[in-house]
Amino acid sequence: MENTIIQTFDLCKIYNPDAVPVHALREVNISVAEGEFTSIVGPSGSGKTTLLNMIGGLDKPTSGRVAIDGKNITGMKDSELIDFRLEHIGFVFQHYNLIPVFTALENVAFIMLLQKRTKKEMDERAKSLLEAVGLGERMDARPAKLSGGQQQRVAVARALASQPRFILADEPTANLDGDSAMNLLDIMEKMNREQNITFIFSTHDQRVIDRARRVITMVDGGIYSDE
Amino acid sequence: MLAAIAIGLWAGVVTVGTMNGMVDQRMNYLIENEITHLQIHHPEYRTERRPTDYIPNHPDILNFLSSDERVKAFAPRTLSDGMLQTPVKTAGVQIRGVDTETERTTTTFHENMTEGDWLDADMRNPVLLGENLARDHNMRIGNRIVLTFEDTSGDLTSAAFNVAGLFRSASTDYDQRTVFVRNNDLNDLLSEEPVYHEIAVMLHDIETAEAVSAELNERFGDIEALTWTQISPELSTIVELGGIMLFIVTGIIMLALAFGILNTMLMALFERMNEIAMLISIGMSRIRVFMMIVLESVILTVTGAAGGLLLAWLSIASLSERGVNFEMFAEGIAELGWDHIVYPVLSPNEYLAILTLVITIALLSSVWPAIKATRIRTS
Ligand SMILES: Nc1ncnc2c1ncn2[C@@H]1O[C@H](COP(=O)(O)OP(=O)(O)OP(=O)(O)O)[C@@H](O)[C@H]1O
Ligand SMILES: [Mg+2]
Repeated sequence: MENTIIQTFDLCKIYNPDAVPVHALREVNISVAEGEFTSIVGPSGSGKTTLLNMIGGLDKPTSGRVAIDGKNITGMKDSELIDFRLEHIGFVFQHYNLIPVFTALENVAFIMLLQKRTKKEMDERAKSLLEAVGLGERMDARPAKLSGGQQQRVAVARALASQPRFILADEPTANLDGDSAMNLLDIMEKMNREQNITFIFSTHDQRVIDRARRVITMVDGGIYSDE
Repeated sequence: MLAAIAIGLWAGVVTVGTMNGMVDQRMNYLIENEITHLQIHHPEYRTERRPTDYIPNHPDILNFLSSDERVKAFAPRTLSDGMLQTPVKTAGVQIRGVDTETERTTTTFHENMTEGDWLDADMRNPVLLGENLARDHNMRIGNRIVLTFEDTSGDLTSAAFNVAGLFRSASTDYDQRTVFVRNNDLNDLLSEEPVYHEIAVMLHDIETAEAVSAELNERFGDIEALTWTQISPELSTIVELGGIMLFIVTGIIMLALAFGILNTMLMALFERMNEIAMLISIGMSRIRVFMMIVLESVILTVTGAAGGLLLAWLSIASLSERGVNFEMFAEGIAELGWDHIVYPVLSPNEYLAILTLVITIALLSSVWPAIKATRIRTS
């Protein structure tokens, strides 16, 4: 496959290997190409979050490895991995995405501050991204003053701000009502279509699944189907 | 938490200031009221207290003192241990023969008068008694008492004195065993020539006490010049003890502060686990997380501390004028010779030292929470 960004090799994850082992991932092999809009679905406990954590370098596999742009991230030291995440991976979580004491604008700018971008670039980019996700009017609001959907849109803007190779989103719509969820998907889709941003997201929501162009279904830690 | 830091520090600093004030006040009181910066005696007077142990060459010494620029004032005193007799009873007293004029310019004892006049009353053989001594003997102003003591040739002499005034110093014990007369009157009874057992010297600068006393000792033989620390071990003990107390109180405050910060930061950390995990997930390095927590505690503490110190400064500024009244303990305190109104003091340097200490404590006590923060897992 051309322009493969993510590739996993016999990825296994066993929680509690000593006590009651839980096989969260069993030899998962997938690859994701640039520009994909991929959904990972499956019943609760099937290993979706675990897989996304492995791909995002938030946790280490028990065996197997993950390569991003051909680089083996599984062998990286913890501090290297943090820098790698900062520069190459965008994250949207189900909740606790934002810093409560910062405004929407500051939350988006913050990641660029970590990347040591210039003040001007931070400001301009954060503003244009917030406008792109439809929050041009709410830039100075703190997260508590924003709806759940608006908060997730700030999180998407934040993830995009770091100019990552791809964005991982673990159940980004789980806390949202139907309309907000669709609205968020619209924005993600637009980014994917217009800027060729690669998205990988997990979900339970059938309407969200319907929007994905590729659906990877997991069952009991393994890939059940991929279409 | 901010309020807790502010209030804790405020209370602590005011306490420290009050203690500081107490020590300072006691020291100044003792020095200005009686001890002065340095005293000259016959080398054996302080141990033997014999009437004959007077200062041998006092005119030379007095000359030297009046020409030395470091000396602000001095007062020669004629001292004698004797008996006070009244129709009621008899009591052992220390008779202090002072020079009306020079004593007034050297010490502030004349401010302790509660009734009657200082020794310049126009009467024959005036004597000043402590208020409580007079009460015990049923004496009033104008009453007559008899003082009996040994003169320089070893004979006992008695003379009648007239009560001219009553005084109350800070120490009831001192008031009970000390009477004041004019040194001329006492000298007439004691010896042919005027004799002085003690010369009290006030300097312009207390720091020069050491040097002046050394020079006196070297220049004049057969005398012993002592600085205030040597004369009054009580005073040096107070100063030392004050230092130790200050150290302990400061230590307790800082310890409380450290626990406060530690506790607050750990709680804050607990509440923000998810936020910090998120920050590490999106790529905030652990060093930055560490710095963030440390910085937060320092900012928090310094904000609280600034408030507390400002409050303390205002309180101390106001209290240093009005004084803290320990009236309810007045009796006990008076017995110890301490004034019951305390004027707290704290120098700018001491404020600065406290602030520095607070910041250091904030830094140190945030290290552990900060380390914990960097250990938060991302999955
Ligand atoms: N930290 C952990 N310690 C032990 N077991 C875990 C841990 N995290 C996940 N598991 C187990 O691993 C398996 C996969 O969990 P995972 O969270 O990946 O599932 P999921 O598909 O994301 O489920 P959900 O749809 O509920 O989010 C589950 O059986 C889960 O109980
Ligand atoms: Mg999950």
